[in-house]
Amino acid sequence: MDTIIRSISRLLFPLMLLFGIYVALHGHLTPGGGFPAGAILGTAFAMLVISYTKKDVEYRLTHNKIIAVKSAAAIILLIIIIRMSYFIRDWLLQGQTLFSLWSGGFTPFANIAGSLMVMTAVMIIVYGVVRE
Amino acid sequence: MKIIAGVLLLLFGIFMAAVVIDPQFGVWENRDVTAYYLEQGAFETGSSNIVNAIVWDFRGYDTMGEETVLFTAAIGIVLIMGVGLHGHNHKKH
Repeated sequence: MDTIIRSISRLLFPLMLLFGIYVALHGHLTPGGGFPAGAILGTAFAMLVISYTKKDVEYRLTHNKIIAVKSAAAIILLIIIIRMSYFIRDWLLQGQTLFSLWSGGFTPFANIAGSLMVMTAVMIIVYGVVRE
Repeated sequence: MKIIAGVLLLLFGIFMAAVVIDPQFGVWENRDVTAYYLEQGAFETGSSNIVNAIVWDFRGYDTMGEETVLFTAAIGIVLIMGVGLHGHNHKKH
Protein backbone atom coordinates (compact mmCIF):
# COMPACT_ATOMS: atom_id res chain seq x y z
CA MET A 1 0.00 0.00 0.00
CA ASP A 2 0.84 3.68 0.05
CA THR A 3 3.38 5.34 2.26
CA ILE A 4 0.61 7.49 3.70
CA ILE A 5 -1.47 4.48 4.71
CA ARG A 6 1.57 2.79 6.17
CA SER A 7 2.54 5.78 8.29
CA ILE A 8 -0.99 6.38 9.51
CA SER A 9 -1.52 2.74 10.39
CA ARG A 10 1.85 2.62 12.15
CA LEU A 11 0.80 5.67 14.19
CA LEU A 12 -2.68 4.33 14.85
CA PHE A 13 -1.77 0.76 15.75
CA PRO A 14 -0.59 1.29 19.38
CA LEU A 15 -3.54 3.56 20.10
CA MET A 16 -5.98 0.93 18.86
CA LEU A 17 -4.16 -1.70 20.90
CA LEU A 18 -4.38 0.48 24.00
CA PHE A 19 -8.05 1.20 23.43
CA GLY A 20 -8.79 -2.49 22.96
CA ILE A 21 -6.98 -3.40 26.17
CA TYR A 22 -8.87 -0.64 27.98
CA VAL A 23 -12.21 -1.91 26.73
CA ALA A 24 -11.28 -5.47 27.73
CA LEU A 25 -10.17 -4.50 31.23
CA HIS A 26 -13.10 -2.18 31.90
CA GLY A 27 -15.68 -4.44 30.29
CA HIS A 28 -17.54 -5.03 33.53
CA LEU A 29 -17.63 -1.34 34.45
CA THR A 30 -18.30 0.57 31.24
CA PRO A 31 -20.03 -0.35 27.98
CA GLY A 32 -18.00 -2.87 26.10
CA GLY A 33 -16.82 -6.30 27.03
CA GLY A 34 -14.98 -9.20 25.54
CA PHE A 35 -16.45 -9.23 22.06
CA PRO A 36 -16.01 -5.52 21.21
CA ALA A 37 -12.52 -5.54 22.71
CA GLY A 38 -11.57 -8.53 20.60
CA ALA A 39 -13.03 -6.85 17.53
CA ILE A 40 -10.96 -3.71 18.18
CA LEU A 41 -7.74 -5.64 18.75
CA GLY A 42 -8.33 -7.85 15.73
CA THR A 43 -9.06 -4.79 13.58
CA ALA A 44 -5.74 -3.26 14.65
CA PHE A 45 -3.84 -6.34 13.52
CA ALA A 46 -5.93 -6.61 10.35
CA MET A 47 -5.09 -2.98 9.52
CA LEU A 48 -1.40 -3.74 10.01
CA VAL A 49 -1.58 -6.85 7.81
CA ILE A 50 -3.47 -5.05 5.04
CA SER A 51 -1.40 -1.87 4.99
CA TYR A 52 1.93 -3.69 5.11
CA THR A 53 2.58 -6.91 3.28
CA LYS A 54 1.71 -10.16 4.94
CA LYS A 55 5.32 -11.26 5.24
CA ASP A 56 6.33 -8.20 7.24
CA VAL A 57 3.83 -9.05 9.93
CA GLU A 58 4.29 -12.79 9.67
CA TYR A 59 7.95 -12.46 10.51
CA ARG A 60 7.09 -11.72 14.12
CA LEU A 61 3.57 -13.06 14.36
CA THR A 62 3.45 -16.57 13.00
CA HIS A 63 0.37 -18.72 12.67
CA ASN A 64 1.56 -21.09 15.33
CA LYS A 65 1.77 -18.30 17.89
CA ILE A 66 -1.75 -17.12 17.05
CA ILE A 67 -3.16 -20.64 17.29
CA ALA A 68 -1.30 -21.19 20.56
CA VAL A 69 -2.78 -17.98 22.01
CA LYS A 70 -6.23 -19.01 20.80
CA SER A 71 -5.99 -22.45 22.33
CA ALA A 72 -4.70 -21.08 25.63
CA ALA A 73 -7.51 -18.52 25.75
CA ALA A 74 -10.04 -21.25 24.98
CA ILE A 75 -8.75 -23.43 27.81
CA ILE A 76 -8.75 -20.47 30.24
CA LEU A 77 -12.29 -19.56 29.20
CA LEU A 78 -13.41 -23.16 29.63
CA ILE A 79 -11.95 -23.25 33.13
CA ILE A 80 -13.55 -19.91 34.02
CA ILE A 81 -16.99 -20.72 32.67
CA ILE A 82 -17.25 -24.31 33.91
CA ARG A 83 -16.21 -23.45 37.41
CA MET A 84 -17.92 -25.11 40.26
CA SER A 85 -16.24 -23.18 43.03
CA TYR A 86 -18.22 -20.25 44.29
CA PHE A 87 -15.69 -20.11 47.11
CA ILE A 88 -13.06 -18.56 44.81
CA ARG A 89 -15.62 -16.11 43.48
CA ASP A 90 -16.52 -14.95 46.97
CA TRP A 91 -12.81 -14.67 47.77
CA LEU A 92 -12.33 -12.50 44.67
CA LEU A 93 -15.35 -10.39 45.50
CA GLN A 94 -14.56 -9.70 49.12
CA GLY A 95 -13.41 -6.21 50.04
CA GLN A 96 -14.29 -4.84 46.61
CA THR A 97 -16.69 -1.98 46.17
CA LEU A 98 -18.98 -2.01 43.18
CA PHE A 99 -17.14 0.29 40.79
CA SER A 100 -13.52 -0.63 41.50
CA LEU A 101 -11.41 -2.22 38.79
CA TRP A 102 -11.27 -5.84 40.02
CA SER A 103 -14.79 -5.88 41.38
CA GLY A 104 -16.15 -8.31 38.84
CA GLY A 105 -15.15 -11.62 40.34
CA PHE A 106 -14.63 -13.90 37.36
CA THR A 107 -15.93 -11.56 34.70
CA PRO A 108 -12.73 -9.53 34.05
CA PHE A 109 -10.76 -12.71 33.40
CA ALA A 110 -13.54 -14.04 31.21
CA ASN A 111 -13.51 -10.72 29.34
CA ILE A 112 -9.77 -10.92 28.74
CA ALA A 113 -9.91 -14.53 27.58
CA GLY A 114 -12.91 -13.83 25.35
CA SER A 115 -11.23 -10.81 23.82
CA LEU A 116 -8.17 -12.94 23.03
CA MET A 117 -10.44 -15.53 21.42
CA VAL A 118 -12.18 -12.98 19.19
CA MET A 119 -8.88 -11.23 18.36
CA THR A 120 -7.19 -14.43 17.24
CA ALA A 121 -10.27 -15.45 15.26
CA VAL A 122 -10.17 -12.15 13.33
CA MET A 123 -6.42 -12.50 12.82
CA ILE A 124 -6.70 -16.06 11.52
CA ILE A 125 -9.49 -15.05 9.14
CA VAL A 126 -7.44 -12.10 7.86
CA TYR A 127 -4.38 -14.30 7.46
CA GLY A 128 -6.44 -16.80 5.54
CA VAL A 129 -8.04 -14.27 3.23
CA VAL A 130 -5.05 -12.01 2.51
CA ARG A 131 -2.60 -13.47 0.06
CA GLU A 132 0.93 -12.16 -0.32
CA MET B 1 -40.87 -43.28 9.80
CA LYS B 2 -43.91 -41.20 8.90
CA ILE B 3 -45.42 -41.86 12.31
CA ILE B 4 -42.26 -40.69 14.06
CA ALA B 5 -42.14 -37.59 11.88
CA GLY B 6 -45.78 -36.86 12.63
CA VAL B 7 -45.29 -37.25 16.37
CA LEU B 8 -42.22 -35.02 16.31
CA LEU B 9 -44.10 -32.41 14.27
CA LEU B 10 -46.99 -32.53 16.75
CA LEU B 11 -44.61 -32.10 19.68
CA PHE B 12 -42.92 -29.20 17.91
CA GLY B 13 -46.31 -27.58 17.29
CA ILE B 14 -47.33 -27.97 20.93
CA PHE B 15 -44.00 -26.55 22.05
CA MET B 16 -44.24 -23.55 19.74
CA ALA B 17 -47.85 -22.92 20.80
CA ALA B 18 -46.79 -23.05 24.44
CA VAL B 19 -43.96 -20.63 23.73
CA VAL B 20 -46.25 -18.21 21.91
CA ILE B 21 -49.26 -18.39 24.20
CA ASP B 22 -48.01 -18.66 27.76
CA PRO B 23 -45.70 -15.68 28.29
CA GLN B 24 -47.27 -12.99 26.18
CA PHE B 25 -44.99 -11.28 23.76
CA GLY B 26 -43.54 -8.06 25.13
CA VAL B 27 -44.89 -8.57 28.64
CA TRP B 28 -41.86 -8.83 30.83
CA GLU B 29 -43.61 -8.86 34.20
CA ASN B 30 -44.39 -12.52 33.74
CA ARG B 31 -40.78 -13.49 34.14
CA ASP B 32 -39.16 -13.43 37.51
CA VAL B 33 -35.67 -13.93 36.18
CA THR B 34 -35.37 -10.54 34.47
CA ALA B 35 -36.35 -8.67 37.61
CA TYR B 36 -33.91 -10.80 39.58
CA TYR B 37 -31.09 -10.04 37.13
CA LEU B 38 -31.77 -6.32 37.25
CA GLU B 39 -32.09 -6.13 41.02
CA GLN B 40 -29.47 -8.57 42.24
CA GLY B 41 -27.07 -8.82 39.30
CA ALA B 42 -24.70 -6.11 40.41
CA PHE B 43 -24.43 -7.47 43.93
CA GLU B 44 -24.06 -11.10 42.94
CA THR B 45 -21.52 -10.70 40.18
CA GLY B 46 -19.92 -7.45 41.28
CA SER B 47 -19.94 -5.99 37.79
CA SER B 48 -21.80 -2.74 37.25
CA ASN B 49 -22.29 -3.39 33.55
CA ILE B 50 -25.45 -5.46 33.56
CA VAL B 51 -24.99 -6.67 29.99
CA ASN B 52 -21.57 -8.01 30.87
CA ALA B 53 -22.90 -9.59 34.05
CA ILE B 54 -25.58 -11.45 32.11
CA VAL B 55 -23.43 -12.40 29.14
CA TRP B 56 -20.33 -13.59 30.99
CA ASP B 57 -21.72 -14.67 34.33
CA PHE B 58 -25.38 -15.67 34.39
CA ARG B 59 -25.43 -17.00 30.83
CA GLY B 60 -21.85 -18.16 30.77
CA TYR B 61 -22.53 -21.45 29.04
CA ASP B 62 -24.23 -19.65 26.17
CA THR B 63 -21.21 -17.40 25.72
CA MET B 64 -18.93 -20.41 25.85
CA GLY B 65 -20.93 -21.89 22.99
CA GLU B 66 -20.46 -18.67 21.04
CA GLU B 67 -16.73 -18.85 21.58
CA THR B 68 -16.81 -22.47 20.45
CA VAL B 69 -18.44 -21.29 17.22
CA LEU B 70 -15.62 -18.77 16.76
CA PHE B 71 -13.02 -21.43 17.50
CA THR B 72 -14.59 -23.81 15.03
CA ALA B 73 -14.69 -21.09 12.36
CA ALA B 74 -11.01 -20.30 12.85
CA ILE B 75 -9.99 -23.96 12.82
CA GLY B 76 -12.07 -24.48 9.68
CA ILE B 77 -10.32 -21.55 7.99
CA VAL B 78 -6.97 -23.02 8.96
CA LEU B 79 -7.91 -26.44 7.63
CA ILE B 80 -9.64 -25.37 4.42
CA MET B 81 -7.42 -22.52 3.28
CA GLY B 82 -4.31 -24.39 4.36
CA VAL B 83 -2.74 -21.50 6.20
CA GLY B 84 -0.40 -22.17 9.02
CA LEU B 85 0.18 -25.78 8.10
CA HIS B 86 3.47 -25.18 6.34
CA GLY B 87 5.18 -23.70 9.33
CA HIS B 88 8.06 -22.24 7.34
CA ASN B 89 6.39 -19.12 6.02
CA HIS B 90 8.37 -16.82 8.23
CA LYS B 91 11.70 -18.28 7.12
CA LYS B 92 11.22 -17.19 3.52
CA HIS B 93 11.44 -13.58 4.55
